[in-house]
Amino acid sequence: MSRTPASQIPVTVLTGYLGAGKTTLLNRILSEDHGKRYAVIVNEFGEIGIDNDLIVDTDEEVFEMNNGCVCCTVRGDLIRVLSGLMKRKGRFDAVIVETTGLADPGPVAQTFFVDDEIKAKTRLDSVTTVVDALHVGQRIDDSREAREQIAFADQIILNKTDLVSEKDLAAVEARLRRLNPLAPIRRAVRSDVPLDAILGRGGFDLDRIVELEPEFLNPPHGEAGHVHDEDCGHDHHDHDHAHGHHHGHAHAEAQDIRGISLSAEKPLDGPRFTQWLDKLLAEQGPDILRAKGIIDVKGEDKRLVFQAVHMILEGDLQRPWGSNERRWSRAVFIGRNLDEAKLRAGFESCIAANS
Amino acid sequence: MSFSFGAFIVEAVFGKDGACAFALGDGTVRFASGETIEAHPDAGIQCAAAHPSGVGVVSGGDDGRLVWSTVEGAKELASVGGKWIDAVAASAESNLIAFACSRDVRVIDARDAKFSRTFSHERSVANLAFDAKGRRLACATYGGAALWFARIEGQKPTMLKWAGSHVGVVFSPDGKFLISCMQDNALHGWRIADAKDMRMGGYPAKPKSLCFLAHGGLLATSGAEGAVVWPFAGANGPMGKQAAEIGHEDGARVTRVAGLPERPVLAAGLEDGRVWIADLTAKGVERIRADKAAAISALALSPDGRRLAWGDEDGEAGIVEVSL
Repeated sequence: MSRTPASQIPVTVLTGYLGAGKTTLLNRILSEDHGKRYAVIVNEFGEIGIDNDLIVDTDEEVFEMNNGCVCCTVRGDLIRVLSGLMKRKGRFDAVIVETTGLADPGPVAQTFFVDDEIKAKTRLDSVTTVVDALHVGQRIDDSREAREQIAFADQIILNKTDLVSEKDLAAVEARLRRLNPLAPIRRAVRSDVPLDAILGRGGFDLDRIVELEPEFLNPPHGEAGHVHDEDCGHDHHDHDHAHGHHHGHAHAEAQDIRGISLSAEKPLDGPRFTQWLDKLLAEQGPDILRAKGIIDVKGEDKRLVFQAVHMILEGDLQRPWGSNERRWSRAVFIGRNLDEAKLRAGFESCIAANS
Repeated sequence: MSFSFGAFIVEAVFGKDGACAFALGDGTVRFASGETIEAHPDAGIQCAAAHPSGVGVVSGGDDGRLVWSTVEGAKELASVGGKWIDAVAASAESNLIAFACSRDVRVIDARDAKFSRTFSHERSVANLAFDAKGRRLACATYGGAALWFARIEGQKPTMLKWAGSHVGVVFSPDGKFLISCMQDNALHGWRIADAKDMRMGGYPAKPKSLCFLAHGGLLATSGAEGAVVWPFAGANGPMGKQAAEIGHEDGARVTRVAGLPERPVLAAGLEDGRVWIADLTAKGVERIRADKAAAISALALSPDGRRLAWGDEDGEAGIVEVSL
C-alpha cells in the first residue's frame, strides 16, 4: 500500500470564481515563511510571483481520452506542463494549480488519475475551493461552474466572513453543506487560513479516509459554524424552508448538485457491494463528481475504503477495524440528478444475508 | 566515460564530428569534452536537438528562449517571452529549425537570420518532426497532425486527422508515412499520399520515443516491456503485419529507443535505468548499463554508429563504444 512514496510531488488545485479571493490565498501561500518552494501553474498572469517560485502560464485545454470512458476528460496543458516540470525536479517541493473562475474541476482532477506518468510522479493533494461569503449564494444560483467547484472540493475556504452577519453565514454554510457534505468549511477574512490546514490534505489518499461522518465535520450545536441539518433533530424542516424563502433563492441545487450520505449498521456483502458500485459509476459516473466510503464487509476484518471521481474508482482494504470501534458502513455521493431513494435502496440491498 | 551532472537529462546529442553533448533540466548544456554552457540561466531545458550545422545543440527552455550552444558559448536564436518552448526539431538538409510554443510553431533558418515563419494551430503542439529533406514539417496536436511546407508563407496545412491527443511524431525516411504517438497508449500512422489510417495499438504505456532504422525498413518504439519493432516494407508499411518485441523482460518498460538509420541496430533505455543494444539480425541483446538506477530519459547513437550516449532522470550519463 505504498501508494504515496515521498518522490511523488504533491499538487494542490485552487478553484473559485473571480473575486472570491483565490489570488490572495495563492499570494499568502507563496509569501509565507514556510521554507517550501512551489511551482505554480496559472491560466493568466496575475499579481503573483515570488522570487524563489516557478510560475508557469498555460492555456486551459480540456480534451477527451479515447479510452471509451464518456466522462474521461483531462487537461492536456497540465499533462504537458507537469511532465515539463518533472525535468526540473529538485527545484520545487510542491505544485499549485490555479484554475480560472469558469473551470470545471473534473478534468483537472482526472488528469492525475488517467495519465500514468503524471500519476507515478505526482499526487493530487486536494481541490481547495475559495468562495466569498457575500456573493456565494448568488453564484450558487446562477453559475453551474460555481456549484461544481463547491461540490468537487476537498475543503472550502469561506472568505470575507467579515462582510456578512453570523446568521447569514450560517445560512451560507448550510447551502455549501448541501452541495458538499464532505468538505470542511474554513471561515476566513482575506484568505487568512492556516496554511498547514490547506496543504497536505491527502484528499484523494485512500489511507486518509479515516472518518466519514458528515456531522463529524460539523461543530456542535450552539457553537459558531454549526449547521442545522437533518442530523440536528430539531426544526430542520422549518429552517430549510425559512432559509429558502427568506433569501429568495431558487434552490437550483435541489434538482441539480447535492451530496447524499448513506449508511448501514449491518455488514455488507463484498461482491454485491462492488458490483453495485461499479454499475452505479458506469451508469451515472458522468453525474457523480466525488464519492467516498468506508465499508464494513461481512467476513472481512479490514475496512474497505473507496473514493471516486466520476468513473474513476479507487478502492482498497485499509487497516483492520478496532476491537472497540463501531463497525458500520457509510458512503457519501456528491453529484447531479442523484435519486436519493434509489441510491439508498441500492446500498441497502448490499446488506449481507443473515446479518 | 561516465558523468554525474545532477540534473534531469533531457536529450543526448551527437554532432557531425562525433562530439557529444547533454541538454539538462537545470538549463545547462554539458559537452563530453568538459565545457558547461549556461544556455538558459535560472530556467530549464524542455527540448533539444542537434543544430543543422552539425555543431552544437539547439535547446528550447521554459524561459521561452531558443538557444544554440557550442563549446564556445551560448547564442540566443529566438525568444518568445513568457511561454515555454515545448518542442524543437532541426534539419541539416534544409538548415531549418522549428520550435513549438503553445499553439504556434515558428520556423527559422540557421543561415538566414531574416527568415521566419509562424504556423498557428487551434490547439497546442506537443511535438514536431521534419521529413528527411527538411521541407515538410509535421506538428502533433489534438485531433491529428498538421503538415506544413516549412518555407512557405500563408498556406493552409494538410490535416491528418485522428481523434485524440497526439504527443509525438516522426516521418518515415522515404516520406511516405507519418507516425504519431498518442496520449491513449497507442501509435497511429497515416500513409501521407491518401491519408489512409494505420492503427498500432496494444501498448501498456505511451510509446513516446520513436525511430526508424535499417533504411526505413523498421520502426522501433518505446512504451512496452521490450522495444517494439514494426516492419515497414512496401507500399502498405506495417498494415496487416505483426510487431516484434525485442529484449522483453517483465516489469522492465522501455522509455527511449535509438537506431542506426542504415543498419538494423537498435539501442533501448529502460525505466529501471538499464541500457542495451542489439543487432536485430542476431539473437540477444548486449547490456551497456546493467545496474538499475533512475529511468533513462535520453539516448542517442553517434552518426557512425560506434558510440552510444545515455542519460537518466537523476542526471547520471554515459558514453560507451559499441561494436555491432
